[in-house]
Amino acid sequence: MQNLLAGIILVLIAAIASLQASELSIGTLRHIGPGMVPSALSAFVALIGVCLIVTWMRGHRSGTGRWPTRGPLFILGAAVVFGLIIRPLGLAVAGPLLVVVAAFASHETRWGEILAFAVGMTVFCLVLFKYLLTLPIPVAPWLIGY
Amino acid sequence: MEDLFANLSHGFAVAVSLENLFLCLIGVVIGTLVGILPGVGPIATIAMLLPLTFNFDPTGALIMLAGIYYGAQYGGSTTAILINIPGEATSVVTTIDGHQMARQGRAGVALGTAALVSFFAGTVATVVVAALGEPLTRVALLFGPAEYFALMVLGLAFAVVLAQGSLLKATAMILLGVLLSTVGSDLETGEERLTFGLAELADGIDFVVLAMGLFGFAEILRNLESPESRNVVKAKIGRLLPNWEDFRQSFMPMLRGTGLGAILGILPGNGAVLGPFASYAVEKKLAKDPSRFGKGAIEGVAGPEAANNAGAQTAFIPLLTMGIPPNAVMALMVGAMTIHGIIPGPQVMTKNPDLFWGMVASMWIGNAMLLVINMPLIGIWVRLLNVPYRLMFATILLFCAIGIYSVNNDPSDVLMTAFFGLAGYVFIKLGFEPAPLLLGFVLGRLMEEKLRQALILSRGDFATFIENPVSAFLLLLSLVVVVVAIVPAIRQKKEEALNS
Repeated sequence: MQNLLAGIILVLIAAIASLQASELSIGTLRHIGPGMVPSALSAFVALIGVCLIVTWMRGHRSGTGRWPTRGPLFILGAAVVFGLIIRPLGLAVAGPLLVVVAAFASHETRWGEILAFAVGMTVFCLVLFKYLLTLPIPVAPWLIGY
Repeated sequence: MEDLFANLSHGFAVAVSLENLFLCLIGVVIGTLVGILPGVGPIATIAMLLPLTFNFDPTGALIMLAGIYYGAQYGGSTTAILINIPGEATSVVTTIDGHQMARQGRAGVALGTAALVSFFAGTVATVVVAALGEPLTRVALLFGPAEYFALMVLGLAFAVVLAQGSLLKATAMILLGVLLSTVGSDLETGEERLTFGLAELADGIDFVVLAMGLFGFAEILRNLESPESRNVVKAKIGRLLPNWEDFRQSFMPMLRGTGLGAILGILPGNGAVLGPFASYAVEKKLAKDPSRFGKGAIEGVAGPEAANNAGAQTAFIPLLTMGIPPNAVMALMVGAMTIHGIIPGPQVMTKNPDLFWGMVASMWIGNAMLLVINMPLIGIWVRLLNVPYRLMFATILLFCAIGIYSVNNDPSDVLMTAFFGLAGYVFIKLGFEPAPLLLGFVLGRLMEEKLRQALILSRGDFATFIENPVSAFLLLLSLVVVVVAIVPAIRQKKEEALNS
């Protein structure tokens, strides 16, 4: 299954890329246009994808292992939440929220500990990034205006 | 020779300024820390800490980032010796005999030897970097587009060959990396390419976003799946300084390891990872009693550790002289240089001599600092190994998120990083290694540019790459490297070496 899936994904990526590149002019060898390199690369990627599918058909069927969803869902979810609220609500809200959402990803989480940790870490980051390094990251625009 | 000393003393003058010394110290301490903590790699750390350097001048910023890199090589050995987990890929070999030494109650000697030989190797490698810097830069300045293109092909060929797992998949990753680098406006016509009409993609994919997604986020996901099993050696660390007998046994392996590591480190395409393996194999072959290896032979620590550190340092040569990063960490250094407005390449040495020589000199200073902080602080580092991952991953994630946001002050970067994190996770699950992708991505733009220039100069004739002796040689070498790797017998050896 591993090689089959890998091959299909490569072919898919190549198809999407060459579709996007199809509107660009290929040019000539003497004067390469913007479309040539992306199109050529997509063709090579697709070729490798096909090769991988062929190796799967010829019997190299190693498994893909487990695909847990909990980790990816909450870790990437935490990052997405952070990205969505950092501008309107600032680090004072986005920071602790990221830690708490991410904590759902691990079954070892102890909630009392993580809440205290979320607050402490956010304060630490505010001091470090905002006040020591003076990065222009919003703190709490809804409360203090920046 | 006189030039060398003049340049080095200029470098030291730059590197010993209070600010640069401080940044170097911070770099090596953080580096040691991430090297020790398993699951936090130097790539993610450098990407994470990039925004910390925005306020510094470029020289200071790169001194700190370089410190993180070679500091991590030091720290990685500590983890390898004490808990039998390689903190970094290059300390895999150290686990074999280093951990056995620790089990025999000689952890201190193993750690001390590792630190001392690393310092020696670092010192030699610094001189090598300084000595080769100028002549190689002069060569690089003579390179036309065809030669440059061929050189980058060679680098990518090495990256494919040295990647773990299937060659086919590594090649796919390189090509995908180059493909991703074409996203954004065309370098000649300015037309938007592969942007899906998204304004965020018009300037191309940000390097930090890609690196953090593929390494930072995906690494967390992978670590969360494998439950922690750390068995820190509970026995006493014991004395740190090797005695006369240890010293006598380590001396020649140290010299050989330094030489091997320094040479392999210069190779494009992450030759540095080969150093420790090569050194271990050589020592085992030369030993009077090879059966001692694997049972706590000090040569098995001294040689590979020296090779590891020498390679880490000489890997800067292709980056500093030609502007071609040999591995993913160096690719990140390119990203850092570009953010600070410096275009990597042979012109760095002439245009920014402070940066070039300051960085070279700081490597030696950094190595000296590592020796000083590592020996007395080993007790503290050991205690750090007990920080639970359930708190660590949340911290890493928060630092990553703040870091990515701060690069462009753009929240959509954070969302895009999450997307690449997902992609990286799927790739790892399907047996693709993400490091070659990053390398292809960094070299991609320059490669396309040089390819197009070369073909314009030759009026569309591909023969230009073969008629030019230098590029013909480099391309032939790339071909040989790949063909040799496909030969089944060698392939098996490589897999044994990389998986042992």
